[in-house]
Amino acid sequence: MTTLTAATPATRPAGAGPIVRVRDLHKTYRLGRVDVPVLHGVNLDLAPGEWVAILGASGSGKSTLLHLIGGLDRSDKPRNGRPRARIEFEGRDVASYSARELDRYRTGSVGFVFQFYHLLPELSVLDNVLLGPMIRHGRFGYLARRAGLRARARDLLGAFGLADRLRHRPAELSGGERQRVAIARALMNDPALLLADEPTGNLDRKTGGRILDVLAAVRAERGQTMLMVTHDPEIAARADRVVHLVDGRVVEQPPTAPPPGE
Amino acid sequence: MYQALLTRRYLTSKVMPLLASLAVVLCTAMVLITWSVMGGFLKNLTEAGRSLIGDVRISWPNIGFAHYDDLIARLEADPLVAAAAPLIETFGMLTLPDNKTVGVLIRGVEGDSFSEVTNYADALWWKPLDKPLPKDKTRADPRLSDSLGPRLQQIFEDGLALAEPDPQTGQLEPAMVLGMEVGAWNYRAEWGGYLPWKHAVPQADGDVVTLDTFVPRDASLALRVVPLDSQGRPMEVVTRVLPVANEFESGLYDIDRQTVLVNLDALQRMLRMQAAKRLAEPTSSDPGEFFDEERPEPELVEEPARVTSVLVRQADPNAPARILQERCREIYAEFAATHPGEVPGAYAVNIETWEDANRMMIEAVKKETGLVLVIFTFISFTAVFLVFAIFWAMISEKTKDIGVLRALGASRLGVAWVWLRYGLAIGVVGATFGGLLAWGIVTNINEIHEGIAATGRWLGETLTDGPWNWYIWDPRVYVFKEIPHQIEPWKAAFVLVGGLVSCVLGALVPASRAARMHPVKALRFE
Repeated sequence: MTTLTAATPATRPAGAGPIVRVRDLHKTYRLGRVDVPVLHGVNLDLAPGEWVAILGASGSGKSTLLHLIGGLDRSDKPRNGRPRARIEFEGRDVASYSARELDRYRTGSVGFVFQFYHLLPELSVLDNVLLGPMIRHGRFGYLARRAGLRARARDLLGAFGLADRLRHRPAELSGGERQRVAIARALMNDPALLLADEPTGNLDRKTGGRILDVLAAVRAERGQTMLMVTHDPEIAARADRVVHLVDGRVVEQPPTAPPPGE
Repeated sequence: MYQALLTRRYLTSKVMPLLASLAVVLCTAMVLITWSVMGGFLKNLTEAGRSLIGDVRISWPNIGFAHYDDLIARLEADPLVAAAAPLIETFGMLTLPDNKTVGVLIRGVEGDSFSEVTNYADALWWKPLDKPLPKDKTRADPRLSDSLGPRLQQIFEDGLALAEPDPQTGQLEPAMVLGMEVGAWNYRAEWGGYLPWKHAVPQADGDVVTLDTFVPRDASLALRVVPLDSQGRPMEVVTRVLPVANEFESGLYDIDRQTVLVNLDALQRMLRMQAAKRLAEPTSSDPGEFFDEERPEPELVEEPARVTSVLVRQADPNAPARILQERCREIYAEFAATHPGEVPGAYAVNIETWEDANRMMIEAVKKETGLVLVIFTFISFTAVFLVFAIFWAMISEKTKDIGVLRALGASRLGVAWVWLRYGLAIGVVGATFGGLLAWGIVTNINEIHEGIAATGRWLGETLTDGPWNWYIWDPRVYVFKEIPHQIEPWKAAFVLVGGLVSCVLGALVPASRAARMHPVKALRFE
């Protein structure tokens, strides 16, 4: 793997406090007439440049937590005397963002990597990666920076070993290649926070391992804070810190394995 | 920027939007072709309606009005007026060569002045032709005959003058010109022109006499009218046999079927409207005022000639006739003030534009055009629902993409614009190609029509005993020789913008649905 070309310093300056601070986060989904609580007062801090893995079983609320931090969803409103949930990014509550600010937050400060890549099938690899800058800068802003952005996208894809795949459609790529394109797309706007939702969940162990290598390289060279969701303890072990999410709550210690025969 | 990229990619990589574009192409072309043909039809009809009445008509029916020469002189002195001509309009009976008698509308005109005010010279049918009518591929039109040329030229000139030389004396005698359909002697061929019939007339003794019904050659027909006295009371029937100088085709079947143009002088004499000295009865409000021995001798008074109408042609053919109508009112008011008691008052006389005179016909065709357009526009509205259905399905298919766009920071408005822009692109493609298709069809509609008819003939002759008549616009039914058509830029622009707006309308609800999608639900959509 070649060295990544970073638009920002390799290590981000560590602030006095956490880059992300989550307090009393509750989230309930409504299924028909039934309320299904998913998160029960989650508290979590992410230090700048830290790689944190959220480990939990299926349905424990991992992806929901990721979506809430990424500004894709809103937490529950305070009720029954519960304190108001707070998701602070660089000291400011994401819940206080206007719709426009939230869009800017998603396009400039956060990068998403999904389990199923979510590449747009009609676009080429290069266009998929350039989608973020197009959204971020608007028509005229993008056209003014077009040459630079295309060069950066090529460099990024080249660093991920996809230099000869720029004109290919996602359908013409392997799973690992698709996920690398998705990571390049997430990095194009150089976000401070990378949110990866089971990034290896759809790949075989070997390919998944390579993807984790890519993510590790990204974090090492670009200093991005990374929050990764997984249900695989082995994958979680690659992170700086592992947070266990059990039934919508963060627990300090991993749940003990049930006694044999139980 | 990403909207443009996605629009381009979606448009070129999917079949369904191409089908939507095709629907817009067909709907746009259909409305534009219909409007162009119906518009052309209306234009031809109104021009035909205008052709023999000028732009404005000043009329006082039945007994008519005197001093019309003075009125015409006053009118022609005005810069708005190009020419004015006298006219008498009345009803009468015409006896045809086969002894049938038909009711006709008789118009008495002077050939020269009538030609200056109307398209009379163009309307005269029998005249030498240099080139055949567009559909006369076999040159079947007798007017193309070189040998008939000098005779036809004479017939044309006789028609223009509404007079022809007496065979015995050589002196010019007043004549009449018939509408092409008055006697139903002319057979209208499928190429749009006329061929004279040869009539087989059964006789009382069982014999059959074949009549050559090319009437301008030597026919003289009996015309009967009922003159009115100065009080409008009918007098005795007057019959006069007049030679037929020519025939005319105005383009309106009703006029061609029932109108006879007659030399003005001759008709004035028949209707007792010519200038004459008359005995004027003394009048009094007291019936016992005069005893027989005291009754004065009737006075011989000069009574000027009368006509029922004066036709006026405006100097600027494109100016609204209403302006000339107003000016004619003012001129007539001055004229009436100069001849008090001798001509109808300014408020009594009828001054109408050619549009007023043909209102019923024009309004009927306008209504038909409007109705057809409304029907086709409703049919075309299916394009809106087609775009709606296709976009709805596409948005369901692209739900995950919408979630990804939102995760990458696209705003709700930005996502909506992807689909509105996509609808607009389909509209632009559909309207552009629809406009081109319509232009191609409308400008070649007669050739296409001929091709369809030729195919019908060939298929009929190949598969059955005789040709099949696939003429949709048969000149034997419609008076026009070719399918009328007229693409007006504003109409084309209106239809093309309509096609565009339809697509955007169709995309509006799906785009709003896409914009309102919850990003997480969109990403999790299966």
